[in-house]
Amino acid sequence: MRYYATLPGKTEPTIVEIELVAEGRYALTIEGKRHEVDARTLPHGAVSLIADGRSYNVELEKVEDEVAVSVRGQTVRLDVANERRRRLRAAAAAFSAEGPQVVKAPMPGKVVKVLVAPGDTVQQGQGLIVVEAMKMENELKSPKDGVVSEVVASEGQAVESGAKLLVVE
Amino acid sequence: MRPIRKVLIANRGEIAIRVMRTCRELGIATVAVYSEADREALHVRTADEAYLVGPAASRDSYLRQDRILEAAKASGADAIHPGYGFLSENPDFVRACEAAGITFIGPPASAMEAMGEKTRARLHMIAAGVPVVPGTEDAIDSAEEARRVAESLGLPVMLKAAGGGGGKGMRKVERWEEFDAAWRGAKSEALNAFGNEAVYIEKFLEEPHHVEIQIFGDRHGKVVHLNERECSAQRRHQKVVEETPSPILTPEVRAAMGEVAVKAAKAVDYVGAGTVEFLVDKYRNFYFLEMNTRLQVEHPVTEWVTGLDLVAWQIRVAQGEPLGFDTVPPNGHAIELRIYAEDPAQNFMPCPGTIRYLRVPGGPSIRDDSGVFPGYTVPTVYDPMISKLSVWGPTRDEAIARALRALDEYVVKGITTNVAYLKAIVDHPVFRGGDYDTGFLARESESLLKGGNGEHEEIALIAAVVHAFEQDRALAQTLPKSSATQASPWKLAGRAAALRR
Repeated sequence: MRYYATLPGKTEPTIVEIELVAEGRYALTIEGKRHEVDARTLPHGAVSLIADGRSYNVELEKVEDEVAVSVRGQTVRLDVANERRRRLRAAAAAFSAEGPQVVKAPMPGKVVKVLVAPGDTVQQGQGLIVVEAMKMENELKSPKDGVVSEVVASEGQAVESGAKLLVVE
Repeated sequence: MRPIRKVLIANRGEIAIRVMRTCRELGIATVAVYSEADREALHVRTADEAYLVGPAASRDSYLRQDRILEAAKASGADAIHPGYGFLSENPDFVRACEAAGITFIGPPASAMEAMGEKTRARLHMIAAGVPVVPGTEDAIDSAEEARRVAESLGLPVMLKAAGGGGGKGMRKVERWEEFDAAWRGAKSEALNAFGNEAVYIEKFLEEPHHVEIQIFGDRHGKVVHLNERECSAQRRHQKVVEETPSPILTPEVRAAMGEVAVKAAKAVDYVGAGTVEFLVDKYRNFYFLEMNTRLQVEHPVTEWVTGLDLVAWQIRVAQGEPLGFDTVPPNGHAIELRIYAEDPAQNFMPCPGTIRYLRVPGGPSIRDDSGVFPGYTVPTVYDPMISKLSVWGPTRDEAIARALRALDEYVVKGITTNVAYLKAIVDHPVFRGGDYDTGFLARESESLLKGGNGEHEEIALIAAVVHAFEQDRALAQTLPKSSATQASPWKLAGRAAALRR
């Protein structure tokens, strides 16, 4: 089976071919290089991996669309997609930008400052709104390039976790 | 001597459990109090009895003296342990307990009052001949007066709240241009945190170390010190890592500071566990900063190197027993790491949420003091500390190696924690070198927050693909054979995947 794994800092995914050799044994081909490993997937997102006699305890955790993978104290975020998911994504992208993006409050707090207005053109990563919670201020950034279509929140407003603040299309 | 039979712990989280553990070992019954937000918290089911004291907000529950005393009366508790924070340094509460005939496990109200108001505490100390950080004896009324005082002390200065500590209402002023804004900011923060906008000024010492001395007094006038804790690893005036002994103290300075701390405690007729905080400059001159009239968060490191159970001694002293120990040199080295539900990469934003998986380190000389469990939802309304991990080693280097090993074993899923940040601190050459001041974490924040070096990326990739492959295999096995009248396998797979989340 083929998987597309995007490593941090890379725009193009690494293509990985994986084959079940026997129960618990896998052959993977990464960029032309073949690896045979002994791996057991354990409950709660752990993988016990033995590669060339070296043993690794790998902890995995789904974080939004990615998976956070920790090995020997180092954590890397990967995006791993199978063929089907990659095709679905490509199809969605063809209709340009994954539709309206709702910016929500990450936790209960108070809106301190609204930095944009409906109709403003924004870039991905641009600051949209500042929310204060647990005595910390947090500036929420635009998830994509687009136009602010809706601003629901107002300065001074108290918000619940997950509350819709504004929409970028 | 009146043996205590039942203790109500007027607190929550890890400290409530820590106190309950000792009570259990001593054969003393325990009573928990909880807010509506804490019904499923671990401290509730750890205790023998539990009483609801109010809605989520602390001021409506854990700070409600009346409701706590009601619970004490209803349960027949003959003593109350306040933990730290909340009512632990509230002299009115001490007096309310006394009036209700309940033993307060802590110092008398008079000692709390003498040390609780910071400018008055300074005055007491000056009168007792204890060296204090140069500064004002009284709170300052006006910005003009504040500037005059700052001029006479010389910049940099620290503006500090008179009504309380914990880093609130504090501002460092390094340049005259910042002065007015800092003055206003300190006052408003102090008003918010303590209901008292009084601010005083101290000279800011260069490269200060925050070193505190644990003291213990009994009802018979005996006060001893139990050595120091080095607490200079602070972020925004909040402690992150603590250790003992302090790598910068010599036995002579330790003895001198201990003597001064005991003098300070005796000056206010102190009973129970207390901590005298000092600032130590680079010449090893030490100056009284403040006294905390309660058990501190970082007390486990002292327990490691003295072999004493401080909570057990708090109870014994409260019962009227004489102190059964004297000052002894510390044995070995201990380090404590505060594990928080926060994301250092997002400016340490608190990350409350549900802990989906938890694996806590074990093995020789490891201690985990926590109030969480797998499946627990960390509430948003309280401090996001998950646990205190402390380790001991015969030498400092061994304790460091043990701390790093333990942090590697700590697995928490479902919430973001500062475990990687703590590892970076303990592994940092400045920390390892042993000479770090209170500016260390801020100064080195870039290197401490830097991610990994990509060493095991290929392994991570292999494991992630194996994992995804196995998930897809399992999914394929649960799908029924498709037929014209059934839902499309795409839909079923999508639903199954959504359910797994």
